[in-house]
Amino acid sequence: MPAKDLAGRKSTKRKQIDAEEIQSAELQSNGVLEMLSDEEEDGDASSDDGHVDEFPEIVNESSSEDSDYDEDDEDEDEEDTEDTEDENANESGADSDDSLHVFPKAKTIISRITKQPKTVYPEIEPNYDSDSSTEDTPNRVGDVPMHWYDDLPHIGYDINGKQVLRPARGDELDKFLATVDDSSAWTSAFDKNTQSDKPLTAEELDIIRRLYTNENPDAGYDPYEPTTEWFTGKGKEEIMPLSGALQPKRRWVPSKWEKQKVMKIVRAIRQGRILPSKPKTTSTSKFDAYAIWSEPSSSVVPPLPAPKPALPTNAESYNPPEEYLPTEEERKAWEALDPEDRERNYLPQKYSTLRLVPAYDRFIKERFFRQLDLYLAPRVQRVKLNIDPNSLIPKLPSPSSLKPFPTYKSLQFSHSNGRARCISVSPDGEWVISGDEGGVVSLWEIMVGREVKRWQFEGKIGALAWCPRSDVSYFAVGLEDKIHLVTPPNVDPAVLSLTQTVLAPTTLPTAPATPSTVKWTTPASATWSIDTPLLTMDLPASSSVPSHFCWHRKGDYLASVSTGGAQSNVWIHQISRRHSQSPFKKIKGAVQSVLFHPLKPHFFVATQQYVRIYNLSEQQLVKTLIPGIKWISSMDVHPSGDHLIVGGYDRKLCWFDLELSEKPYKVLRYHSRAIRSLQFHPAYPLFASSSDDGSIQIFHSRVYNDLMTDPLIVPLKILRGHQITDGLGVLQVKWCSKHPWLVSSGADGSVAVWCS
Amino acid sequence: MGRLKVKGKAGAAKNYTTRSSAVKKLQCSLADFRRLCILKGIFPREPRSRKKANKGSSAPTSFYYTKDIAYLAHEPVLKKLREHKAFAKKLSRAIGRGEWSSAKSLEENKPIYRLDHIIKERYPTFVDALRDIDDGLCMIFLFASLPSNARLPHELVENCARLAAEWQLYVMHSHSLRKVFLSIKGVYYQAEIMDQTVTWLVPYQFTQNVPADVDVRVMLTFLELYQTLLSFVFFKLYTDVGLVYPPPLDAKKDENGAGFNALSLQDSSRDSEPPQPNLTTIIEGRHITGKVVRQTIKNINAESVDSADVEMSNAEEVVEEAEEEFVLRPSTSDKTVNANLPTLQSLSTLPQTIMTNLFSPYTFFLSRETPRGVFEFLVRSFGGRIGWPSSSGSGSPFDETDPSITHVIIDRPVVEKQETPEQRELRLRRKYIQPQWIADCINAGKILLEEHYSQGKTLPPHLSPFGEYEGAYIPSGEDAEGERVEEEEEEAIEEEADVGTPAEERQAILNSVIAAATDDPTSLRAAELAAEAAGVDFGDFDAKMKKVAKKQKNITEKEIENAEQDMNKMMMSNKQRKLYEKMKYSNKKKDAERTELESRKKELKKQKRKQT
Repeated sequence: MPAKDLAGRKSTKRKQIDAEEIQSAELQSNGVLEMLSDEEEDGDASSDDGHVDEFPEIVNESSSEDSDYDEDDEDEDEEDTEDTEDENANESGADSDDSLHVFPKAKTIISRITKQPKTVYPEIEPNYDSDSSTEDTPNRVGDVPMHWYDDLPHIGYDINGKQVLRPARGDELDKFLATVDDSSAWTSAFDKNTQSDKPLTAEELDIIRRLYTNENPDAGYDPYEPTTEWFTGKGKEEIMPLSGALQPKRRWVPSKWEKQKVMKIVRAIRQGRILPSKPKTTSTSKFDAYAIWSEPSSSVVPPLPAPKPALPTNAESYNPPEEYLPTEEERKAWEALDPEDRERNYLPQKYSTLRLVPAYDRFIKERFFRQLDLYLAPRVQRVKLNIDPNSLIPKLPSPSSLKPFPTYKSLQFSHSNGRARCISVSPDGEWVISGDEGGVVSLWEIMVGREVKRWQFEGKIGALAWCPRSDVSYFAVGLEDKIHLVTPPNVDPAVLSLTQTVLAPTTLPTAPATPSTVKWTTPASATWSIDTPLLTMDLPASSSVPSHFCWHRKGDYLASVSTGGAQSNVWIHQISRRHSQSPFKKIKGAVQSVLFHPLKPHFFVATQQYVRIYNLSEQQLVKTLIPGIKWISSMDVHPSGDHLIVGGYDRKLCWFDLELSEKPYKVLRYHSRAIRSLQFHPAYPLFASSSDDGSIQIFHSRVYNDLMTDPLIVPLKILRGHQITDGLGVLQVKWCSKHPWLVSSGADGSVAVWCS
Repeated sequence: MGRLKVKGKAGAAKNYTTRSSAVKKLQCSLADFRRLCILKGIFPREPRSRKKANKGSSAPTSFYYTKDIAYLAHEPVLKKLREHKAFAKKLSRAIGRGEWSSAKSLEENKPIYRLDHIIKERYPTFVDALRDIDDGLCMIFLFASLPSNARLPHELVENCARLAAEWQLYVMHSHSLRKVFLSIKGVYYQAEIMDQTVTWLVPYQFTQNVPADVDVRVMLTFLELYQTLLSFVFFKLYTDVGLVYPPPLDAKKDENGAGFNALSLQDSSRDSEPPQPNLTTIIEGRHITGKVVRQTIKNINAESVDSADVEMSNAEEVVEEAEEEFVLRPSTSDKTVNANLPTLQSLSTLPQTIMTNLFSPYTFFLSRETPRGVFEFLVRSFGGRIGWPSSSGSGSPFDETDPSITHVIIDRPVVEKQETPEQRELRLRRKYIQPQWIADCINAGKILLEEHYSQGKTLPPHLSPFGEYEGAYIPSGEDAEGERVEEEEEEAIEEEADVGTPAEERQAILNSVIAAATDDPTSLRAAELAAEAAGVDFGDFDAKMKKVAKKQKNITEKEIENAEQDMNKMMMSNKQRKLYEKMKYSNKKKDAERTELESRKKELKKQKRKQT
C-alpha cells in the first residue's frame, strides 16, 4: 500500500516538525536576547546558548496548533522589552546621582474588599517634581538624532539656550584603560544625550537581568498568584441568566429533521440497501473459482492466442550427444555476440549425472522476456510456406525439345586491330561482313570463315548493313560523317549491273523541292572498282559516326542514327531518289536506335527511356512505350510486327506486346552486365541477346496467332566464348537468315559463328 | 473524381493510436495502461506504413489498434483502477491526519478488481483457455519456488505453490503426462489434456534470485492473471472428473514438506456434503490435535475399499481409489445410460493404456540426492509406487527396507563398503538406476534395459522427446549410418596405411591416369598404354574405367539439369525469386548445421577409436 506508507511517512514528518517547533519555542523562552525573528524558522539557533539558565516554568504551553500564535506574541513582547530598556537607559542616565527608581516602590497590602493581598503603587503627584525627566538634564535638544551634532563642538543646548559642550572623550586606548581601571565600567552604558558613559543603577541592572532571563521586568510581579474566583466556586454559581430572552424551542425539543435523516438510514439498513459493515472477505477471494465456462460465451471473436515458444531441442539436454557441445571457437563467438543476436540463448553443456546440474541463472530473465514479448511486441501473422523451393521455378519445355538453336562455336574470325563493333549477314545468309574500329571491313564466308575481301576505310566503322533486296547486292558502311554503299566482289554480273544502275543511275532523279544537307556523290563510272564505294552520302559535319543502320524491308530506305555528335541525328535515306531527309525537326532525348515496322508504315524510335512509334504516312505519333529502363541500348521487332524487345544498359530486357499495353509484358534480368544487342531470328522462333558479361543468351520465343495465348519465352542456351576487354563483351549479334546460326562480334576483335 | 479526402480521417491514421495518445485517452497512468494491456491481452501492432499511421511522423512509437483502446475504455478493471487511485488518496489523507478509524474503514472497503470477466472474454471456451496455460504454468512453478520477501508476499508464493500442486495432482490423477525432458534450464513436461498439448518448464530446485533488471511489477501482473486463469481451469478440470475443487489442504503435512501430497483429492459424487466441514477443519489444521487427524484418517480408511495398505498416506489412497473407480465405472454402472461414455472413454484411453501404466508393476525408492518433487510426480503419473527417505520430506508410504521395492533411483557414484548379508540380498534383489532412466522410459513409452543406466555408469545421451525440425540431424539414427561410415573410414585408413607398397603405387598411378583419360579416345589410348607400362591388369583397368565413365555421365546429366533449372530461374518474377532465394538460404543453413554435426560426430568417433 504505497499510499498508506506515504501518508504514514508524512505524518511522521509532521511530528518531527512539531517537535522542532516545540524545541525552538523553548529556546525562545530561554534566550530572549539572542532571539532574532529570522533565526526562529531555522530551528537550530539553539546550539550556542547552552549557558543560559533554564526556566522551565516560563515555557508556555506550545501545542502544535497555536505555536505560531505564540511566536508572534513573543516577538511583540520582545520589542516591548527592548523599548522599555532603552527608556530605562535614558532615564537612568538622566538621574544617575540621586538613584531614582524607575518605577515607584510598590507596596503589597491586603485589600479591604476581597481580603486578598494586592500591590499598590504610590500616587503620582502631578507637579514639576513628579516628572523626573525634567530634572537637571543638561542637554535639552530632545529626541533628535545625535549625529546631527557629530561635526559640531557642542552636543546640544541646556535649558538656558547655552551650548552644552561635548565632553572630552579619549581615544580607544583611553577607553580601554578606563574599562580596565573602573570596576563599574561593565555596568555602565553609553548615553547618547550626554555623549558619555553612565553607570546603570541597581534597579536597571535588575531589570536587564530579568529581561535576559525572560522574567517579567517588574520585580514585584508574582506569576503564581492564587486565582481569584469571581463567578465560580462554591456559592458563586450563576443563577440568573445573562439575558432575559426566551429560550428557543430547539433547546429542548428533539429535531424532526434529524430524526427523518436517521430514519432514512435506518430504513436503508433494514432493507439491506446499506451494509453497515461488509462481511470480511478472505485474502484468497480474488481467485475464487467457479464454473465460468458453464454459461454460453459471447459471440465476440476471441483474440488470437499468442504463439507458443519453441520446444527444446537435443542441444538443450543436460546430457546431450557429444557432437552438440560447442568447440572453443564457437563458445567464444557465442560469448562475443550481443545477447539479442545469439541464435540460441544458452550454450549446450554436458553433465555426467543429474545431480551435477546447477541452477539455470537466466531462468527468471527468460520468463520475463517471454512476458515482454507477450505484451510489448507487435505480432504479425505469417503464412509459412512449406514447399520445395524448386517448385517455384517455372516449368518450361526442355531446351532439347526446342532444337534447333545455336549451341557451339563453329568458327572464329578475328580482326587484328581493335574491337569488332559491327557485323552484317547477307540476305542469302552466306556472307558476313564485319567491321572494326581500325576501319577495316572484311567479307568472309559464313561456312568456312575465309576472308574474301578486305576494305580499308579511314576512321572507325560504326555500322554495317546489307541491303535486304535479293536482286541487288550491296551494303552500307557507316563512317565518320559518311555513309558508303559498297558492292561485294564475285557477284553475279546481272546482279552487279542492276546494283550499279540502282546506285548510280545514268539519269539522276530530279532533285526534291526541299534540298537536303546530305550530299550524294557517285564517282565517275571509269573509276569504279571493287575497292571503292559506288555511292557516298556525306552527312552534315560534326554528326559523328552512324552507330545504327536499319533497312526498310523493300530495300529502298535506309535509316541511320548517329549518337556520338552534338545532337543525335536520325536520317532516312531514299536510294531510288538519292535523297535524305531528317524525319524529326526536334526530338526529345537522344535517339539510341530506330526500326522500320516489318509490315506497316510505322517507325520505331528509341530514345534513352522511351520507345515512340510513329506512323510515317500519316506523320503522327502512334504510341509511346515505357519500358522502365534507365538507358535503352537496343531493340528489335518480331517479324510478325506485333512484339518488340528492348534491351538496356541496366541489364533489363523488356518484351512488349504492341497490341496490349505500353508497359512491358515481361521484364527479364539475367545478364550480369549491360545488354548490348538483341535480335529476333527472321525465320526461326528464336532471339538472342548479347551482353558486356561476355555471354550470349539464346531464347526460344514462340508467338501465337491466337490473341488469348501469351507468347512463350524459354531460355535455351548461354553461349560463352568471347573475352571481355576493357569492360566490353559481345558488341553485336546477328542471325543468319536461312539457318539457326548466330554471328557475334566481340570487343576482343573476334567474330564468331555459332551453329546448331 | 470522387469526393476529396481529408488527410488523417480514414485508413491507417484512424485505425492506429500511439501509446501516448492511448494513455491520454484512457486517462490513466502508464503503469495502469501496461497493467490493462497485460490483463486484456492487448499488444501493439505494426502498421504497414508507420508514417501513415503517425500523421507523417516517423518517430519511433508503438501503435495500438484504436478499436482495442476504445474497447479498453469500457473496461471494469479500468474503473476499479481509478477507484483505487481515489482510495489511495483518501487513505493517505486519513493517515496524514491521524484519523485512524476512518483509515481503517477505508482499508476495509478497498476496491478490489476481479478478473473473471476478462478470463471469459479472452477464452470463450474451455479449450481456448487450456491451449494458453503453458506460460501460466511456467510462472506458477517459478513463483512457487521463489523465496518470499517484501515485494513477493508469502500469500502469493503459497497460492502459487498450491496451484502447482493442484496441477500436478490432476496430471497424476488423469494420467495425462506424455513426455519429460531434463534440460539444462529445468525439467520440461508435456501433458495431453483434452487433445491439447500443454508444455511447462519447472526450474530445478535451487533458490532463484530475481535479477535487478527484471521488472517485478510486470511479472506480478502476469502472475495475477495466470493465477485467476489457472484456478478457473483447474476448477473445470477437477469438477469434470468429479473431484472437489479446491482440494483440501492438510496443513500439518504441508509443514512437514509433503509437497503436493498435502492436498488430498476427494470425490465430489461420493461425499457431496462432507467436503465443506472437512475442508474447514483441515484448513484450520494447525489447531487440530494429532488425535483428530488420526480419527479422520481412520474414517477415510474405513470408507475406502482398499484398506490393505495401511502405511500408504491418505492422499495416495484416495488417488488410487479414484483411479479404481474411474476404471471400474463402466462395468458397474448401467450400460444403457452410459452407452456413449465407455466408447468415448475407450477411444480416448486406447493409446494411453499402453503407456500410462508403464511403471505400475514396479515400486521405486528415491535415494536422498534425487529431487523428490520431479521423480515422485513422474513415477506416480505413470502408475508406479514410490517411497523416499524422511530427509526428502514426510509422507513416504514405505521405507527403504520394504521388500516390495524393485528399483532404487540413485544418483551417486558406486562406493565399496561393508554390508551385512541382509543388505546384500536386498541390493541384489533391487535394481539401482540413475534418474535419467525414468525420463527415457517415459519418452520411449516402454521399459528400457536397466543396464545402461545402472549406478555409476556413463549414461547414454538424453535426447529431446519433442523432436527437431524436419531434416535435422538425428543423433539416434547412427546405427545404420555409423557402420557405413565405419567402412568408408576403414577404407580410408587402409589407403592411408599402406601407401608405401608397390601395389598401392600402381593403384595411385591408375587413378591418376584414369582421371586424365576420360574425355577423348586418344587420351584413353594413352592411358591404356600408361596403365600397361605400370603393370596394371587390363581387366582391373577396364572395370575402373567404366566406373569412372558412369560416374562422370551421372555428373554431366546432373549438371545439364542444373543448368536448365538455372536458366529457368530467369523467368521467375522478382517476388518469386526473392522467396526462392530466402528458402534456399534457410535450407542451406539447415544443411550446413546438419553436416557440421555429422562431421563432428565422425571426428569424435575417430578419436575414440584412436584412444582404444
